[in-house]
Formats: sequence, C-alpha cells, structure tokens
Amino acid sequence: MRTMNLGKLASGSLVWAYAALLALPIYFLLTSSLKANTAIFNDPFGLPTEWLFKNYANAWERAVMGQALINSLIVSAAAEIITLALVLPAAYGLARSRSKLAVAFERIFALGFLIPAFATLVPILLLSIQLGLFRTREFLTLFMVATTLPLSIILLTQFMRTIPAELEESAMVDGLSRLRILWHIYIPLSLPGIAMIVILNFLAYWNEFLFSLVLLGSNAETRTIQVALPTLIDQTKTEFGPLLAGTVITLIPVYVLYIILNKRLEGALTAGAIKG
Amino acid sequence: MASKVRTSTKTRKAQIGAVGATRGLSLFSTPALGWFVFFTIGPLLAMFYISLLNWRSLIGESSFTGISNYEKVFTSDVFYAALINTAIQLGFMIPIMIPLAFMVGYYLTLKPRGHRVLRVIMFTPGLISISATAMVFYAALGPTGLLNALLDVIGISGTPWLASQDTALASIIGIGIWQGVGYTAVLFAARLESIPKELFEAAKLDGASEWRIMWRIAFPVSLDFVGTITMLQFLWTLFASAGLILLLTRGGPGFSTTTLSLLIYQKAFFENDLGYSQAVGVILFFIGLIGMLVIRRSIRANY
Repeated sequence: MRTMNLGKLASGSLVWAYAALLALPIYFLLTSSLKANTAIFNDPFGLPTEWLFKNYANAWERAVMGQALINSLIVSAAAEIITLALVLPAAYGLARSRSKLAVAFERIFALGFLIPAFATLVPILLLSIQLGLFRTREFLTLFMVATTLPLSIILLTQFMRTIPAELEESAMVDGLSRLRILWHIYIPLSLPGIAMIVILNFLAYWNEFLFSLVLLGSNAETRTIQVALPTLIDQTKTEFGPLLAGTVITLIPVYVLYIILNKRLEGALTAGAIKG
Repeated sequence: MASKVRTSTKTRKAQIGAVGATRGLSLFSTPALGWFVFFTIGPLLAMFYISLLNWRSLIGESSFTGISNYEKVFTSDVFYAALINTAIQLGFMIPIMIPLAFMVGYYLTLKPRGHRVLRVIMFTPGLISISATAMVFYAALGPTGLLNALLDVIGISGTPWLASQDTALASIIGIGIWQGVGYTAVLFAARLESIPKELFEAAKLDGASEWRIMWRIAFPVSLDFVGTITMLQFLWTLFASAGLILLLTRGGPGFSTTTLSLLIYQKAFFENDLGYSQAVGVILFFIGLIGMLVIRRSIRANY
C-alpha cells in the first residue's frame, strides 16, 4: 500500500512539473507582453512593475493587426460556410447510402485524412497562379476548405449514422425529398456533431500559417493574423514587449472560444483524433 | 412519385437495404469529393510531375529533365544533412512523446486533485498556432530570454539556444515535445476513459500497483489507439516541421536545423529550384508511407 502511494506521489509531481513547464512560457508571455525589453531581460519572472499597455497599441499599429484580424475572420468564416455546404450533404449521403460507390468514397476520405497538406504546398501555389488567384484571400479560403474535408466528413458521417433510419423512412413515406430530409431531420439532429466540426475547423483555419504565408504573402492589406504576427520580429533589435503583446492578440479569439465552449471544444479535439 | 412512395412503404425493410433505394445518395458526396480531388489529390500528382522538370522560377519556363533532379538531390550534402536531422527529430520526439503522453493521460484518468486544472493546462499548446508558439520561444530561448535567466539562477551560464549550432535542433525538438505531450495526453485520457472500469477493478483488488495496471492492462488494451496516435504524430513531425523552423531558425545555423520538410520550402522559395524541391517532396512522401506502414505493423493489438 505504501509503495502505491509513493508511486502516485512521484507520478503526480512529475505531471505537475510538466504542467509547470507548460504554464511557465504562458506566464512569461502574459507578463512580458506588458514590460519593456530591459524589464524582460532583468526580471523575466516578476510581474511588471510598470504596466505597459502601450505595447498592445504598438503591436496593433506596427503589424496592422486590425486589418489582419478582419482578414483572418473573413477567411475563416467563408471557409466554415463552404465547408458546411459541402460536408452536410456528403456526410448524409455516406451515412445512409449502402452502395459500393459510397463505401469507396468513404475510403478515399479516410485515406485522404492521412495526406499531409504540406506535401502539396508548391503545387497549390502554382495552381493559384494558373487560376489567376495568386495573392487572393479567395484562393486561400477555397484551398483551406479542402484540407478539412476528410476529417469533417468522417466525423459527421459517423454522427449521422447514429440517427435512426426509421425517421427517414417515415419522412419518405410522407413524400419528403432527400434534400428536405437532410434539412429538416438530419441537420437539426446532428447539431452537436456540426458544432464539433465547426470548432475543429475554426482552429484549423484561424491557426493556419504556412499556406497563408505562401499564398497571400506579407501584403498588409490581405495577410492573415498569423502572418502579420512574425513581422514584429526585427532582425536588428526586436522589442519583445510588443512582439508578445501581438502574440496575445492572436490568441484572444481562440481563448474566448475555449472559455465559452470549454467542454465541447475538448470533445471536438479529442474526437477529431480518436475517430479519425 | 406517389406510386414510388407506396412501394417503399410496402417493402420497407427490403427497400432501405437495397442498393437501388440509396444509389442517388452517394451523389450527395460528389461535390465534396471533387473539391478534395481538385485541391489535394491533383496537386499531389502534380508534385510527382514537377519533380521531373527543370523549373528555375515560379514565373519562368520549365522543361522535362527526367530523373536529373533526383540525381541532384542524392548527390547534394544538404539533402543528407536534412535526412539525418529529420531522423534525429523523429528518433527523439516520438519515443519520448508517446510514452510520456500515455503516462500523463493515464494519470489524468485517475482524477487526482486538480485534474480539471491540469487538463486545461495540458490542452493549451493544442490551441496555439505555430506562429504564436514560435514567438513565445523566440523570446524565451533568446540570449537574454527566460531559459537563460532560469539557468542563471542555478548558476549555469546559458547559450543562445536557437542561434548555436549545438543546441538549435535540440531546441526545435524540445518545443515539439513541449507542444505535443500535453495534447496527446488529453487524447489518451479520453480514450482510456472509454475503457470499462471493471477491467481495472479486478487487478486493483489483487493489489496491483497503478504502474502495473497502466502498462500491463491499460496500455495493451489501447494499443491500437496508441498506434494511430503514433502514426499521426509521425506524419505531423515529418511534414509539418517547416513552419516552426522557418520562423525560428530558417534551417540554420549552417544546416543544423534543416529538415526534409524545410528543405522543400527552402529550395522552392529561397533558391527557386522547383524541380529539386518537389523531388525531395516525393522522397518525403515515400518516407511517410513506409513509416506509416512500419508503425501500423509494429504497434498493433495482438489479441
């Protein structure tokens, strides 16, 4: 019995040590975002003696973050809408169809989930040039939709399968078309599943960096928040206060979401990996 | 229409199961499939084709050169440097991250005091973007950053972690582990919680320690899931390291943090050699495929 408690104590302290390792950089981020360089260097652990909220204004102005936030919001929102328009009918079709074709489609999406988007970076850039959509938010949006399709479809198909088929049968007896069945029965009953993929995809769209960088570049008019942020690094002398203040700004939307949807967000992220 | 409806009521059971009744339904997924093929499968095939071209500028002309890009790749030092760096990165990250995450995940399922808080903390890195992570560590690992200040307290003189040849790759790996363990642990916890409690109860009554239960019961039972997560982490590390490295070290100093995935980016966008870049892309693709199969084979439930 004694060894058991000791083991528990040991593993507990290890886990808490790791938690501290996770929390420390976050603490450093928050406190340093309100300090000047000298204060960050001399006393990295202390609370700011002088609270420099102007770091935030500074970052906001220098990286043109207002425009970048709007761009990120537009791109994320548009991608969410297009994704749902594609995923809802697709998942419904795959959940209820028993044809060989549907099985094959589902397998393609399951395998497609394993293709890392990064592999297509260069061809995607060339495609955007070919289509005359280079450096446009439109192309980034259309492309990002494709990266989230497989997982969204896999998750939502599984969710829709749990809806009893009898509901659909009686609706068909009443003469409802497939589209109406989808709209009036499946979508309302799948709302938890839909919320899950909306959350999951928002994180993917909002946090996307490399494709945004390559496809949109660093033009302040069109760039997203993730691309705007690193511009606060100055090759000769970086001001860490504004840099970290800018970092906090990019995290705010995600954390607001986390605070509101805590349980659901965890569910979405774990389901994303477990079922995928 | 009406007659159709009537037949379907009559032979309801048979009809729903029949292919005929649902054939139209798979068409509902064709727009999504078309979209996916256009933006993912198509570009993936294009990667294979571009690797056979001599293409020196995004807006320039290209010409077919066969396998000469591959010859160039296999005779260049930077490729082997990148291959070794990638191997080191994977060799450290996966074996450290997966067991550690499993243990943390198991600990979380025991519902120790403060487990709610722990869960939130563990989750945090999973929410943060690559650029935000990079900025935090750019500040924390700098010459006058957090880590050196910490070391200073215990009397060790620090080093510019990201700018020194000896520590840059280790720093990148460390950040990867920092970010990966917590999130993976929450995934393991979610999975372990779905295992029937009775499975552990008997062992507990027999006086088995948590440590034994964790490795002798919980681990084998969730081995398939461990395999899946290992595979995903492997793919993620293999392909997606370019973003973080680009922001923190750009592959340097020297080639010390140039991984294969960064090399693809570097050759395409810094040196305008699209053929070379995509040849590396093809090689990376096969490494990913082989690695996936190996992981699938070796981590598999044997009951």
